[in-house]
Amino acid sequence: MKKFIFGIISISFVLGQTGYEIAKMVDEKPTPKDLSNKTKMVLTNSKGKSRTNAMVSKSTDGNKKQIIWFIEPKDDKGVAFLKIEHDDKDDEMRMWLPAFKKVRRISSKKKGDSFMGSDLSYEDLSSRELDENKYNRLDDEHVDEVDCYVLEIIPKPEAKSTYTKHISWIAKDGLYGVKEESYDKRGELKKKKSFTYQKLKNYYVIKKVFVEDVQKKHTTEVTFSDVQVDTGIDENLFQEKNLKRLPHN
Amino acid sequence: MKRLTFSFLLISLVSGQWNYSGSFQPITMHRTSDLSNISLPFRIAELEVGFSKGDFDFKTSSVVEYRWTGGNAEFDLREAYLIWYPSWGEVKLGKQIHAWGAVDGNNPTDNLNPYDYYYMFLAGADRKIGTLSGSVKYYWNDWQFEAVVISEHEPNRYPFGEDDFPVAMDDPADMLIAAKKGNEFGVRLQTIIGNSDISLSYFSGRDRGFTLVGYNYYIDGATPALTYRKTDVIGIDIVTFFGDLTGRTEVSYYNTNNDQTTDIETFNDAAYVQFASQLEYTTANDITLMIQLIGNDVLEANGLTYSYDEYGNPTTELVAMNEDELKQGMGTPFAMFTDLGMFLSATGNYLDNALEIRINTFLDLEDSQKMLGGGLTYSPVENWKIDCSISKFLGKEGTHFKDMEDFSHIQIGLKYSF
Repeated sequence: MKKFIFGIISISFVLGQTGYEIAKMVDEKPTPKDLSNKTKMVLTNSKGKSRTNAMVSKSTDGNKKQIIWFIEPKDDKGVAFLKIEHDDKDDEMRMWLPAFKKVRRISSKKKGDSFMGSDLSYEDLSSRELDENKYNRLDDEHVDEVDCYVLEIIPKPEAKSTYTKHISWIAKDGLYGVKEESYDKRGELKKKKSFTYQKLKNYYVIKKVFVEDVQKKHTTEVTFSDVQVDTGIDENLFQEKNLKRLPHN
Repeated sequence: MKRLTFSFLLISLVSGQWNYSGSFQPITMHRTSDLSNISLPFRIAELEVGFSKGDFDFKTSSVVEYRWTGGNAEFDLREAYLIWYPSWGEVKLGKQIHAWGAVDGNNPTDNLNPYDYYYMFLAGADRKIGTLSGSVKYYWNDWQFEAVVISEHEPNRYPFGEDDFPVAMDDPADMLIAAKKGNEFGVRLQTIIGNSDISLSYFSGRDRGFTLVGYNYYIDGATPALTYRKTDVIGIDIVTFFGDLTGRTEVSYYNTNNDQTTDIETFNDAAYVQFASQLEYTTANDITLMIQLIGNDVLEANGLTYSYDEYGNPTTELVAMNEDELKQGMGTPFAMFTDLGMFLSATGNYLDNALEIRINTFLDLEDSQKMLGGGLTYSPVENWKIDCSISKFLGKEGTHFKDMEDFSHIQIGLKYSF
């Protein structure tokens, strides 16, 4: 009888969860202390012509500090990007430009700017602050046999988002995003994103992202390899000086 | 012992990590007036080789300089330096190019390296000459402190006797007094205040360009004496953000004096400022717009100059020089063109960054002269680029750009990167 009552309470708890509570669970789920990977980014235009970028990335603190070294195309080899997100002031973004021998501070306010010509904007690459959005829970759905919560996420003005809405499918088992649709300022569908994960040390770690800009008919596929988590990346790595130094193999 | 040292060295080299990159980039330049070839040297090949082991890197950068007519290919080791990366910062020693300042392209605060005037229309480090120097950079939270010591004065490289260069110059070697020996040094402190980066800098060295300081008597009469004056520079540079606009500003104050002895001394000391300030904005369709103001002002100039008679011929009477006669031997090269000018540029990337289109203009706000330019770079295949650009100089009689009108040119280049 006790088991039955506990079961009823559990079911009503799960059914009764609000969008905000689900988003909070996603926000609070354990994430790697640090993450490093090799990234391959394939951009494909409407005519099917592709271009490949390769880079090495290291991040910590839930991606709030990230450093990316560009490896390909060869003309961009050595260019590097450092991002440090702050809670109390604007984020810092800096680029090392070897041809100029300069670390150039760049604006972090143009969130809608494309990252290296891809369909991912700087906003897509930044962490979403829990309380800067409103969350409405929609009917649950299955995506490729994965049972998902479906959330409508509406950025509040303080988020200064370039989107008006996201619809996000979140796996109930693991609380990772399976796919997402993002809508532009006119309320029209702008991007469709799908995510593939791998399990590493009890974390669901992203393995592949596929983004389609439905308005531009352009796609970006980002594949992560040599993924490592919790390797104890030194906080000092996220300093300007390390932009100038391609990581060792 | 030798064998042991050699073995240690060999093990170090094998266990470290080598990396290299480079490019091959033939370029041809033709006058817009008659499409005739402009015979100037260009860097046909570049190679960067690096070696990393532990906290140490060794980097080299070399080029092959070539001209299509009347010259041989020449190898130039532009940089070769050792870097140590301790936990607190970086230490560099060797022949190297430094870069200070916040503004793009024109940096009054950046006087550590001389300029190569053959490449003065290139951007970034490509137009600088490496100097034998040591530098230490210390990082502490939001603070950075850098100190640079340059062992020996290095002057600008000028294209003497190059008929095809826009501003023809004769080699003044016979009139040049060698710069006095001595180290040059600079320090720079950078921090973050609010959402802005602010830096203060100081540099003490000798002018990169020579200027007239007096006259010496020889058997055949008085000969002009040219030298590199002693100059101290105090600079400030700021990067800040206004909404979606990015602002970058630099201001430098120069105090220069003559410490050479000549038979007739015509120059004592002077003070001047140079500034560059830019605003940039990226539109929703990824076009980057930039406006930059650049200028200088001579605050004080103390010295003598020969007066002119009513027909405009120099007399033997020396009178006090006026501020307009001061030649600035340090600072950004564009300061020699104008007291106040404005750059405008727009750059857009298309076809997944395979195509870059750019338009740029320089307007002299004090004299009637301007430069109009545009270009496109297209990458049909990864690692290959085709570049076409056009530069047009226009000016009224007596301006620098009037003298450069015949240098208006089309440039076509191919670049393979590896």
